[in-house]
Amino acid sequence: MQITFTSFPSQSGLRSAYASATKHATEDDEDAYMDVEPFDDFESDSSRLTCPGETLTSAQSFMRGHGTYVDNDDVISSVAGTVERVNKLITVRALRTRYNPEVGDLVIGRITEVQPRRWKVDANSRQDAVLMLSSVNLPGGVQRRKLESDELQMRNFFEEGDLLVAEVQAFFSDGAMSLHTRSLKYGKLRNGQLVTVPPILVRRLKSHFFSLPSGVDLILGLNGYIWVSKHVKESEREGEEGFDAEAVYSNRNDDIDDATRTAIARVTNIIRILAAHSVPLTDVVLLEAYEWAVEQDADVKGLLQEDVSDALVAAVTSG
Amino acid sequence: MAFKSLSKSEKAYIQASLQSNSSLRGDGRSLQEYRTISLETGVAPLANGSARLNIGKNDAEAGGGTEILAAVKLEVEDIEHGERVDQGRVTCSVSCSPAAYPLASSGGLDDLQHDYSTFLDDILSHPSITPANLGIVRGKKAWLLALDLVVLSDSGNVYDAMFMAARAAIWDTKVPRTRSVEYRAQKKQEGDMDVDEEKQSGLDTRQVKAATDFELEDYWDEGIPLVGREAWPICVTLNLLSSLHFLDATSQEEAATPLRLLLVYSVASKSTPALQGMQLLGSGEVDVAQIKKLIQDGEKHASQLLAAINLKLRDEEVRLTDKARLKFASVR
Repeated sequence: MQITFTSFPSQSGLRSAYASATKHATEDDEDAYMDVEPFDDFESDSSRLTCPGETLTSAQSFMRGHGTYVDNDDVISSVAGTVERVNKLITVRALRTRYNPEVGDLVIGRITEVQPRRWKVDANSRQDAVLMLSSVNLPGGVQRRKLESDELQMRNFFEEGDLLVAEVQAFFSDGAMSLHTRSLKYGKLRNGQLVTVPPILVRRLKSHFFSLPSGVDLILGLNGYIWVSKHVKESEREGEEGFDAEAVYSNRNDDIDDATRTAIARVTNIIRILAAHSVPLTDVVLLEAYEWAVEQDADVKGLLQEDVSDALVAAVTSG
Repeated sequence: MAFKSLSKSEKAYIQASLQSNSSLRGDGRSLQEYRTISLETGVAPLANGSARLNIGKNDAEAGGGTEILAAVKLEVEDIEHGERVDQGRVTCSVSCSPAAYPLASSGGLDDLQHDYSTFLDDILSHPSITPANLGIVRGKKAWLLALDLVVLSDSGNVYDAMFMAARAAIWDTKVPRTRSVEYRAQKKQEGDMDVDEEKQSGLDTRQVKAATDFELEDYWDEGIPLVGREAWPICVTLNLLSSLHFLDATSQEEAATPLRLLLVYSVASKSTPALQGMQLLGSGEVDVAQIKKLIQDGEKHASQLLAAINLKLRDEEVRLTDKARLKFASVR
């Protein structure tokens, strides 16, 4: 048995870092400081960070948007995040937030409830998403109308706890998103494990499906859920020749060898480390990080050690 | 998370990984390996002893891990009508932050708190491990040691974490020094009044020393540590999956294992661990022969865990003393 005890990161260390930072700021040229205060430089592309309670600008010349409120003719930030401006509208996009869905986003969700003609799906958003029975692929191959018999066997398709990959189709009037899985790329997930990261770290990419060497497939959900699984060859994907409901809605895993399992665990740990260091995740970054980890020949567990993970982040972000 | 559901294929994946030849876990640990445990004592200035413990938190991460806050508060209690004349008692309660179980209904959260409280209280309030120096005035007053735990977040292995945090808080506890006070009525001779003289008998056995109250001694430190804190119990959770068992399960692994065996050991210095309590959680059954073997394995794990935590607690003690000395020096 191995046990490691450590201390919590010391508060005094943080405090001294903060103190030196603020000291640095006051030593800086006062003009630079003055520039920021009236907040006229919205034009500049540099994103500005703000914290709750910070006065952003005057309410007389700007309108308040999400993440702000007005007090005494001042627009004040109510969250920590980046300030954004569209014409006269000031918004603050929070750094740590739930997933804000947009139509066309690829998300990974977990079924929480089976209801008449629909499933409720947890997709890390403020409300549960909805997956209608009419927006999944039904057995029988061709696109067809749903039948009463389909309604009766909804749990054969998805049941509580099942993970699925889907696309945001539309929004309901209450803001909940409606999902669809009407593509052979979408559907139930198996052969792997889920990692959760803050949704802000997943960027919109050309493709959210990609595979790493050594047989690992990755699906980056824009809601911060990431599926790491065994690689399935393009030709062996279900539904290549005709739609096989049995295979698509199967709960059984394929045989996975130890090497693949190790690779999956390694990728999982890499994602965790990158997320902990707030590195935005893209296919390029993950590939680079994975190659670095293999090159360093670090064991899966060792990656989580502080020095190794710092080195990994440094290697990825410098490139 | 106790209320997290996993899909069938996720469960199958975890189980198959654990049972494969190299028995690999989702984060690359071996079966008998703990995640990193962070521990700090003396976190609550108003408590007599306190500790914060986190299992599995990544250094740079803001959240994550199983986080427990434990605090000990000593209260003076009248024991004149109680059964135990010379000992105080220990009570234990656990509350769960709703943030730790966001998916639980309010009723579910209460049930969970009740389950945790009952299990901990049954074991920790047992007279066999009650610290010996909780008495104040024999037969009259004693300290009531109230141990409160808060589950701030849960990502698996809550029971081990709670017992470790409780041990750390108990370790950190200082009992204030007290001195007994006796009241003696002063006889007053009043003028010419005819007063019946009380006859003093040399054979009066009713004259017992009767301390009635106490006062706090003024002393430079906060008090003395609890007697018998070394023997304070510790929990080892064995997660059982068919024939193998593994330690320190994450919440996903907990959801994928049918059975958990909680073993609570108390180790008085250098002797073999004594089983203080056990509980089997989950649906399924284990036969007696297997339980016997598991208890032996658990003993081994418990003594290793204990050695590790004791080392850390001593470190913390040194750190706190240094801190107090620095503070004292800076004030002067």
